[in-house]
Amino acid sequence: MLKFTIKRLLISVVILFFVMFIVYTLMFSLPTSYMEKTARELATKPGSLKSASEWLAELNAQYGMDKGLVGGFFTWLGSFAVGDFGESWQWTKDVTSVFNSTVWYSFALGLVCFIFEILIAIPLGVLAAKKQYSITDYSVTVFALIGISMPTFFVATVYKLLFAVKLQDWFGLSKPLFDISGMQSRDYVNLSDVGKFFDVAKHFVLPALTLVTVSIGSLMRYTRTNMLEVLNADYIRTARAKGLSEKKVINYHAFRNTLIPIVTILGGSLPGLFSGALITETLFGIRGIGYASYYSMVAGDIPFTMFYLSFIAILTLLGNLIADILYAVVDPRVRLN
Amino acid sequence: MAFEKKSFNEVLKQRELREQAERAQKAADDHIALDDSQRVKVLSPGRLVFKRFIRNRLAIVGTCILIFMFLFSFLGPLFYAYGQTERFYKHEYQQSDYAGAQLRTEFTNYACGDYVIDKEVARRVNSAIIAINSDEEAEATVINVASGNYLVAAAEDENIFVVTDCTQQDVASFVDTIEIGSFTTIEGKITYNDGVKDLGAAFYEAAAAALKGKTYAFTFGGKNYEIRNYNKVGGTIFEISDRAFTYVGASLSPEFETAVLEAVAAKQIAFVFENDAYLISEENGKYSISVSIPNEIVMVSTTYVLNAYEKGKQFSDSFKADALLSVASGDAFEENGVTYHAVTGEEKPEIVTEDGTPIAQLSNFVVRGADGKDSFDIAFKDAVEDAVMDMESRGEKSTVLTYDLLLKETQTDEKGNETVVVVRDENGNEVYQSTDINIRKLVNDYELTCPILSRLFDINSSPSADHLFGTDSDGYDVLARMMYGGRISLMVGFVVVILETLLGTIMGGIAGYFGGWVDNLIMRLVDIFYCIPSMPILIITGAFMDAEKLSPYVRLMWMMAILGFLGWAGVARLVRGQILSLREQEFMVAAEATGVRVRKRIFRHLVPNVMPQLIVTATAGLGGVIITESTLSFLGLGVKHPLATWGTMINSITQRNEDMIKYTYIWIPVGLLICLTVIAFNFVGDGLRDAFDPKMKK
Repeated sequence: MLKFTIKRLLISVVILFFVMFIVYTLMFSLPTSYMEKTARELATKPGSLKSASEWLAELNAQYGMDKGLVGGFFTWLGSFAVGDFGESWQWTKDVTSVFNSTVWYSFALGLVCFIFEILIAIPLGVLAAKKQYSITDYSVTVFALIGISMPTFFVATVYKLLFAVKLQDWFGLSKPLFDISGMQSRDYVNLSDVGKFFDVAKHFVLPALTLVTVSIGSLMRYTRTNMLEVLNADYIRTARAKGLSEKKVINYHAFRNTLIPIVTILGGSLPGLFSGALITETLFGIRGIGYASYYSMVAGDIPFTMFYLSFIAILTLLGNLIADILYAVVDPRVRLN
Repeated sequence: MAFEKKSFNEVLKQRELREQAERAQKAADDHIALDDSQRVKVLSPGRLVFKRFIRNRLAIVGTCILIFMFLFSFLGPLFYAYGQTERFYKHEYQQSDYAGAQLRTEFTNYACGDYVIDKEVARRVNSAIIAINSDEEAEATVINVASGNYLVAAAEDENIFVVTDCTQQDVASFVDTIEIGSFTTIEGKITYNDGVKDLGAAFYEAAAAALKGKTYAFTFGGKNYEIRNYNKVGGTIFEISDRAFTYVGASLSPEFETAVLEAVAAKQIAFVFENDAYLISEENGKYSISVSIPNEIVMVSTTYVLNAYEKGKQFSDSFKADALLSVASGDAFEENGVTYHAVTGEEKPEIVTEDGTPIAQLSNFVVRGADGKDSFDIAFKDAVEDAVMDMESRGEKSTVLTYDLLLKETQTDEKGNETVVVVRDENGNEVYQSTDINIRKLVNDYELTCPILSRLFDINSSPSADHLFGTDSDGYDVLARMMYGGRISLMVGFVVVILETLLGTIMGGIAGYFGGWVDNLIMRLVDIFYCIPSMPILIITGAFMDAEKLSPYVRLMWMMAILGFLGWAGVARLVRGQILSLREQEFMVAAEATGVRVRKRIFRHLVPNVMPQLIVTATAGLGGVIITESTLSFLGLGVKHPLATWGTMINSITQRNEDMIKYTYIWIPVGLLICLTVIAFNFVGDGLRDAFDPKMKK
């Protein structure tokens, strides 16, 4: 087990190395004129403390742009390894401080969605598999497929229209149920600490709903497929032949076995909770890491973008690693190596 | 019983029939037999898949949706009247400036003959006209400038002044005063001017006494003297002469002399006496009077403008000058071989040809188009003048004139240039429309406004029979853009999926077939590509392409290439897995044994066996690519204006919340199109998977 983990970890490090190399190559191949231009543009923004030439000099020092592709890559890797990510051009703060101030919002949003996803998708998936080819099954399947097929931006916009505008009209409410975007109400400063918490929580409802809508389908389908597979297995027939009640068959024999792949995939998606929801956060104005990175990327803020890309790569690798390990932990039949 | 003779043919026929019946009987009996090979209808694998596929209701729904989408996007535009970048216009009346009117009081100078108007002359003539107009009695004056003397005389028509070039001829002169000299009481003597003889000490005493007595005038030796420019201790002595006129030619009447003296007293340098203009010049107290002999008329100054009866006709300045002179004098004039004369006495003077055809009317009342051009006919000008005069007589500041105006339309093109186009009816005739023109008095002119037909971009119009989904903020037809957007979305989907399937099959095939270090290398590459966050990279490249301002088509190509390049890893993994298991099967051993080439073994024997899985993933992947493309376009980093895609269309509406709330009839249908297409691909993908691999079905 330990050997396997170490081996996987080492492979992950190698993969990360190359991913970062590709990311660096991408940045390296951006024309200098583009970088100079964005640096100049962002340096003239209010609140920017450094001039464009200072930034470019810093960039050169940190990314070794003058040392060629390979040399520059190792320079960057060196500063990355010691946690020196430079200063964001877009947010005019240290990349780490931008990260710290945003990532927890993303995590909170991700966690809430994760929990709801599990609570809704797994029971529905099991139900659909249990009553295969029934109305329930078809509706769950279709519902799941619709969820998968809807672009996030469309769902978000529909929810905005529905919950932030139309509901107010239909029920004749004095003010909208939810704000169209943003993280705080206007009277946020006047609220008590508990009030502040609930105010922010309220602003997370629509983004969370959006994320759950678009991501619930795949887990539901996954649960259904695995449950069907398990239900077709011989040991289920055996259990039924023994005369066990259907409830017991489903809950004890089938569901537990279905959980094996599900736990694996869920464990694998845990690190993804930190990666933020790029589109949803941007559309709803949630100042998470997705929001921050979107505006950094669009503005050409190289330090933050490079950090974010590497961060996502690390999270993905970590997810794979966790999934692999969990697979072995949950299912003792799986032999590692 | 008699023997019947039977033909052999007949016998054979009967036997055949009997055998046939027997065979049928046998076949009917055999039908029940379990081991009859005819009993099982054998379907080809393809038909089997097809049969399973069409049994799947969701897959059928998906297929129908997809067929609709393809027809809608690829055939729809062929039959739909509008293009994706065809702009639509609406015609609206907008209250705008139509014309300006003014009662002219300023005089304009027109040169006569070859004369070139001198600015100084023109300026002086204008002030002379003002002077003449302010003095009720005055009718003419002479101005004296560097280039000569000019007689400015009012014509019979008070709006016309004629300026004539003059030569002066001395008529008379008289001496008013002679400067004797100056004195001071401090010096006690007089300093005489040159050429004045000394009048002695008594003269000084007389002058000093006059100064002391503050009379400043004294008589000495029978002559009158005056002290001017005096102060307490001295002054200048002038001899007051008897103002006896010395005539150059014949003596003139005493009235003339009175007139001269009046003019001198009034400090005028010119005066008119008995229709002759005289100029007075003074030098050292000697006044010379000269008569102005008019030579040639050089200028006509008028407040009139010439309104041609023929609409839009412009007259040359020389014609205007001749016409004005003709009004002033009543003489006929000739221009380009046609003789014209003026008809006065009517309300307004007119210029007519010999046969009495009116050519132009002279009027103080000017009506000009809003662009400053003279573009109206006389009837309209008269109507405006009547309306204005009527308004003025009532002492009002504004009025409404209803007039049949030629219907014109202001059109703004895409660059913002405005052009005015005459609207024609179906027969190509001009249309006249009764229009209310608002006339408003400004400080010293009048402003005419009326509703003017304007052609505007038909932006954000609601759904109508012409535009089923309305028009967008550029004035494009939304339905047309939906069709073209579908084209791009579907095309991007297919190109990208084909690209990644090709790449993935090649890489996966190589990895799976060769195994060993090649497999390891390619699989690590797959791991790496799995790790590369594709959305952020697409956003970065999109932002970069934004900054570089690439053309929409180039961007589209790049986007497809990047999407394909980033997406092959999954296909490669799938193909490799399949090939790993297929590789060990007997047919591959056979292929190897018969010496089939490696490339052929992979791509002819292995890959076709992976095809079912490839088709399933590709179909399901299409939906994903379409979502990615529309998301990128929605973020404004994918396909760009003016190319339509579904993502861009939603983006342009939902950028502002007010628009999002207002134009739901645009973005919701477009969003549903995306959803439907992706759902359909997923349905079909699911159906295909079930059809290819029925294990999952009970």
